[in-house]
Amino acid sequence: MKQDDALTLLKERAQAVQTITAEVADFRAACLYAVDVTQRQGGTSIAAPGLSGKDLSHLKAACKTGGLKLFTKNLRENIGQISTGLTIADWGIAETATLVMDSTSEDFRIATMLCETHVAILPGSKIVQDAMSLENELTSAMKAAPRYFAFISGASRTADIERVLTIGVHGPRELHLLIVKGTSG
Amino acid sequence: MIKTPHDVKTYRRDLKNALRNNFLGATLDNFATAYRTSRATAFSGIDFDALAHEIAAGKDQSIAHLPELLEKFSTQAEKAGVKVHFARTAFEANSIIASIAKASGVKQIVKGKSMTAEETFLNAHLEKEGFEVTETDLGEWIIQLRNEGPSHMVMPAIHLTRQEVAELFTKVTGKPQDPDDINGMVKVARKELRRKFLDAEMGISGANFAIAETGTIGLVTNEGNGRLVTTLPRVHVALVGVDKLLPDMKSALRILKALPRNATGQLISTYVTWITGATECKSSPDSKKEMHIVFLDNGRLALAADPAFSEALRCIRCGACANVCPIYKLVGGHNYGHVYIGAIGLILTYFYHGRRNARAIVKNCLNCQACKSVCPTGIDLPHLIKEVHRTVLNVEGKKPVKNLLLKKALGNRRMFHFLLRRASLAQKPFSEGQYLRHLPFMFSGEQEFRRLPAIAKVPLRDMWESINRRVENPRYRVALFGGCLSDFVYPEQGEALLQLCGDHEVQLEYPMEQTCCGLPAQMMGERETAKDVAVQNLRAIDPADYDYILTLCASCGSHLKENYQKLLSQEPALAVKVSQLRDKLIDFSSFIVKVLKVDPEEFRRLGGKVAYHSPCHLCRGLGVTKEPRELLSTAGFEYVPAKDEDVCCGFGGSYSIDFPEISAELLKRKLDNVEDTGAETLVTDCPGCVLQLRGGMEKRGGKVKVKHIAEVVAEQKKQPRRKG
Repeated sequence: MKQDDALTLLKERAQAVQTITAEVADFRAACLYAVDVTQRQGGTSIAAPGLSGKDLSHLKAACKTGGLKLFTKNLRENIGQISTGLTIADWGIAETATLVMDSTSEDFRIATMLCETHVAILPGSKIVQDAMSLENELTSAMKAAPRYFAFISGASRTADIERVLTIGVHGPRELHLLIVKGTSG
Repeated sequence: MIKTPHDVKTYRRDLKNALRNNFLGATLDNFATAYRTSRATAFSGIDFDALAHEIAAGKDQSIAHLPELLEKFSTQAEKAGVKVHFARTAFEANSIIASIAKASGVKQIVKGKSMTAEETFLNAHLEKEGFEVTETDLGEWIIQLRNEGPSHMVMPAIHLTRQEVAELFTKVTGKPQDPDDINGMVKVARKELRRKFLDAEMGISGANFAIAETGTIGLVTNEGNGRLVTTLPRVHVALVGVDKLLPDMKSALRILKALPRNATGQLISTYVTWITGATECKSSPDSKKEMHIVFLDNGRLALAADPAFSEALRCIRCGACANVCPIYKLVGGHNYGHVYIGAIGLILTYFYHGRRNARAIVKNCLNCQACKSVCPTGIDLPHLIKEVHRTVLNVEGKKPVKNLLLKKALGNRRMFHFLLRRASLAQKPFSEGQYLRHLPFMFSGEQEFRRLPAIAKVPLRDMWESINRRVENPRYRVALFGGCLSDFVYPEQGEALLQLCGDHEVQLEYPMEQTCCGLPAQMMGERETAKDVAVQNLRAIDPADYDYILTLCASCGSHLKENYQKLLSQEPALAVKVSQLRDKLIDFSSFIVKVLKVDPEEFRRLGGKVAYHSPCHLCRGLGVTKEPRELLSTAGFEYVPAKDEDVCCGFGGSYSIDFPEISAELLKRKLDNVEDTGAETLVTDCPGCVLQLRGGMEKRGGKVKVKHIAEVVAEQKKQPRRKG
């Protein structure tokens, strides 16, 4: 499957699980998007662990302009105060609109689990057709223990009361997927 | 607390109560309808049967090597800092987990959804030991607060109304909750449970996969609570049945392709989590999670070694066998399983929770094959249910009188057919046209939801020679396997067949030594009797003598095709004949459409509006769905689809005698759906279904005629062309 077809499928499948997708030019644009979403929702902060160098500077600048707090480490101390979690995904699976994320660092997990909105950045070149295509990558990752990997496909959901689909029971209430076109990660 | 009846009388009382619960009846019906569509959409573009076959083969391999997989898993996981435990029994598992909690100074525990923990009654054990345990899956939390067991393996609280949940949450929060604000109630759970996650020192999860190659566990969840349970507390214990062991990631991904699609019609669940080893955890003194994996045997290893029952360990807990079960749909999971729910529940209860809990529920199967047709691991659920039923009867040594009578009657064909002919005379004072006017006392009362047919004056076999024309140079030689109902109750169905074959140069034969197919014996758990009649029939009909073995009864056909192989697998002399029989067996509609290739020209037009009931053993047993519908249109009928055409009519042979309340309700729904179509005639391919549907329609005074497809098609046939 060509990368463009994979991207089209991923976007189509994302819609079915209420994932909001957008294409962005680069990491800086993604930061601006995250700040904008947070502001629109009345949020006050962004948690973004594991960033460094230019990426971190872009985000710092964007948060500062937007008047948002930025948490980058020891996120356990900030549980309850995280409006948006901003993370980079390792792969995207087109068939199921799934983000695959190495979540071994605790901060990474807290940022993606205990935020109100999760904004994930995915390099366009990292989209594969189906989960089976990642068999080898996943196996190698699991061999490098300890490892905590997450497949995320949409926002947290339940249908436990009269089978009525309800979003945001435990995890984020929204998942935004920003695809950085033409990057190789 | 879960209380499963230990006797049929109490069980039937519970079933009757459940049938009076209108909410349950409506909600499960809606669910079944929605599930059917979403599942089909989720599997579009995927060859389900091929996938199920692959998963089954993979699981069978794992099941045969559980000790080796366990050893490999343990080595890998321990290398990654996990302590692996092995519990022989449920009690041992619970005790191990309690001692881990004690040793780590734990007071509060949060739990993710785990059927294995339900199996061991872990919460009750931990609470008795003084720990505070909170379920964090919304459905599980609700039933925990209500002190109930799950009523579905995937949707544990599906039996509850929004009002019941609102009432419960009002108590929990001390603030009134609006039952129509489901979003608001979900927020209550989010808020209440968030605190629990943060306070707990230990998280307990189950696992959907245990991958030996890397010592990884995989969790499939939607709410995200599983992620929090495995992340926030400083201790994580996973309780895992040894049947979840798989060799590698590939095996897990293969199952993941089927599991959410089959469970809820989702392409994938929202979260799938893969954990290898003790990861970072900053609430722990050394910033490292204390991680334990407790593998549970509880009879699984013994089950794995059993040639017949090991198949049950393939189960991946998708719950689909409940979703499609017509009985589950009426009475809900609290009346259709013990801890494990649905068809697989009827089987596993016997192995994990004992004979007393399995004794009554295991009888409650129509053998409609709906579960088997959706099982993503190809478990022959109806067959295993009958095998458990048979085992329970044998172990308890208390066989019902009807079993003994049947065994006696079927043991000798002459005697059996003599009795049937005698019954035709004996019923005279009780019969009224084609029906019995009064039912014999043993059937009275609860059996009166349908009228039962009288036995024919002359059975098909006795009129056969006089009505069967000899064909000089036949294109096909075909043996008719009549089956008891076509032979002794509805001989007109056989007559119709002969009429249809009249000018198609087919020589039909009725091998006179044939007897009951044996399905009734199989249904009652009488395997030996079923085997005896199978041998009798194979002696009566040598497949090598015919081009086709044709049957008018889908149930007989499906039993001959599927079960004879299982019954006679140990009989080398007959095994080949069984295969030949399978190859040559054909149902009525397929024969007329695919072999005779009838032409619309042979039939009159304007046959009227007909609805169709798809017999369980035709559409699922024999996999025939297109031909009957095609035949109806060829024969000049206007076919109008009805809701739930392929859902069981509730007959199930002796099932309708054992559980008349369920049979009556299924029949009612079926006839309601048919009447809604405005059809003049209801057509089906199985004399058993004819018996149930016609008797029910007659009883309710309905206007729709009920007929076997052979009859209606023969009625439409123009006069045969005479040669010369």
